Amino acid sequence: MSGEPSYCTMESYWFGDVGCQACEPAPGDPGLLAERIELLAGRGDARIPDWRIAVRCGAVRSRTEYLERLRDAALILAERNLEQILQTEHSGLVQMVRMLDQLDEAINLLTERAVEWHRATRPGFSRKRTLPAGRSLIALMRQDADEDLAGLLEEIERMRDQRSLLMKQVSRRAEEVLPNCSALAGGLVAARLAAEAGGIRELAVMPAASLQVLGAKTALFSHLSTGTPPPKHGIVYQHGRVHGARRENRGRVARTLSAKLAIAVRIDYYRKCADREFLQNATEAVRRAGRRE
Amino acid sequence: MIWIDGHLVSEGPGGVYGERMLHGCRVWDPKRSKLAALYHLGTELDLGPDHRVLYLGAANGTTVSHVADYVEVVYAVEVAPRPMQDLLVVAGSRKNIIPILADAGRPGIYRPLVEEVDFIYQDVASPRQVAILIGNSCFLKEGGTAVLMLKSRSIDVTRPPEDIFSEAQTEILDGGLRILDRVRLSPYYPDHLAFLCRRD
Repeated sequence: MSGEPSYCTMESYWFGDVGCQACEPAPGDPGLLAERIELLAGRGDARIPDWRIAVRCGAVRSRTEYLERLRDAALILAERNLEQILQTEHSGLVQMVRMLDQLDEAINLLTERAVEWHRATRPGFSRKRTLPAGRSLIALMRQDADEDLAGLLEEIERMRDQRSLLMKQVSRRAEEVLPNCSALAGGLVAARLAAEAGGIRELAVMPAASLQVLGAKTALFSHLSTGTPPPKHGIVYQHGRVHGARRENRGRVARTLSAKLAIAVRIDYYRKCADREFLQNATEAVRRAGRRE
Repeated sequence: MIWIDGHLVSEGPGGVYGERMLHGCRVWDPKRSKLAALYHLGTELDLGPDHRVLYLGAANGTTVSHVADYVEVVYAVEVAPRPMQDLLVVAGSRKNIIPILADAGRPGIYRPLVEEVDFIYQDVASPRQVAILIGNSCFLKEGGTAVLMLKSRSIDVTRPPEDIFSEAQTEILDGGLRILDRVRLSPYYPDHLAFLCRRD
């Protein structure tokens, strides 16, 4: 605060700009203060604040007021930053995929138990019966289940409906959030990759070679520790061009697809829009990889 | 520090995370908080009503809420969004917690907010634990205290904790802090060591 004016520079604090002659308090609105703090943080040369300067500056009257104002601004800033992170990370998609997987698990477990129960009361019932296409074991049991079981079977059936609904929702959400990946691999595969990687950001910074074996953890680690042949594919196997390819071509298709997916997810995460030219070239590259002898 | 029948407690509005209450005070469980464990194991460290605290690795705000009961203000830094959601709820119901969503490894981001403090508490489970403390020591007043909760398993699971502790000690000294005390946190937390440091 002292010294000759010529050596004196303006110092910016969250509560105001302090020069050696004058001082200009920042507007007291917490929203604006939050913006100001963000701005100062971005400049990276901020000085550590001192509440006594704020009082001298006239920005606040007391220590209590200093802390109150800082806290209100910090709360708003943290909320804004949090919202922004949640938006860019799209962690909702990952949660949807995990819910889908756990629904599967739960439905299977409950179905198993229901079959055991049903068998205990209906000696003629066997699961080794050919099911009419598209109809589930559950529906079959419901035809002659005893009263106590019937209600539960209905619930399981409902869960199955929810499950197919959720699958469509996952796919649709993935097409929004991961347009390029979804166009290349299908929404469900794209979503599963993101979930396995732990998030879209995590997937976007992943090398293509890691992406290729995502979901083949057991095979990968058995390769690393005991030298079994390395896995050619994990989740990407679910893509039609990979599991539809001839055996000797499958590795190449998986590799090409993963390389293109790695680029696609980067476009999805950083540019956030579909790139038609890239998609055309990528699809063509994957197709060629499967055709070569 | 306040003790009731051998339980460490803090005075403040309860119901932050389902903590037990004792004569209207919040029981500060050593099994849920490393700082509480440190007090149970015996330490000179004291928190006073005029203390300013920089808390790195605030997580869900469990320990933060107890520290806030004792001191004037806590600057609570946490990088992960999920725990931050909880921390914001805790900070919303208390006047003296200033939440900061930032990486403690990049103190430049929150430099415009955090004033000089009397006490730095570092509980970030990162392989760069010591470097993070040193990077934040610019916020520490002369004569101020820093507590580093060193989790040897976060630095390297394969090496014996003792080696890691002595390496950390050298790193702290090189960083310009004096070591007042070292406390093993067993049996509450195995392979943890609390370093009490001072900036002269």
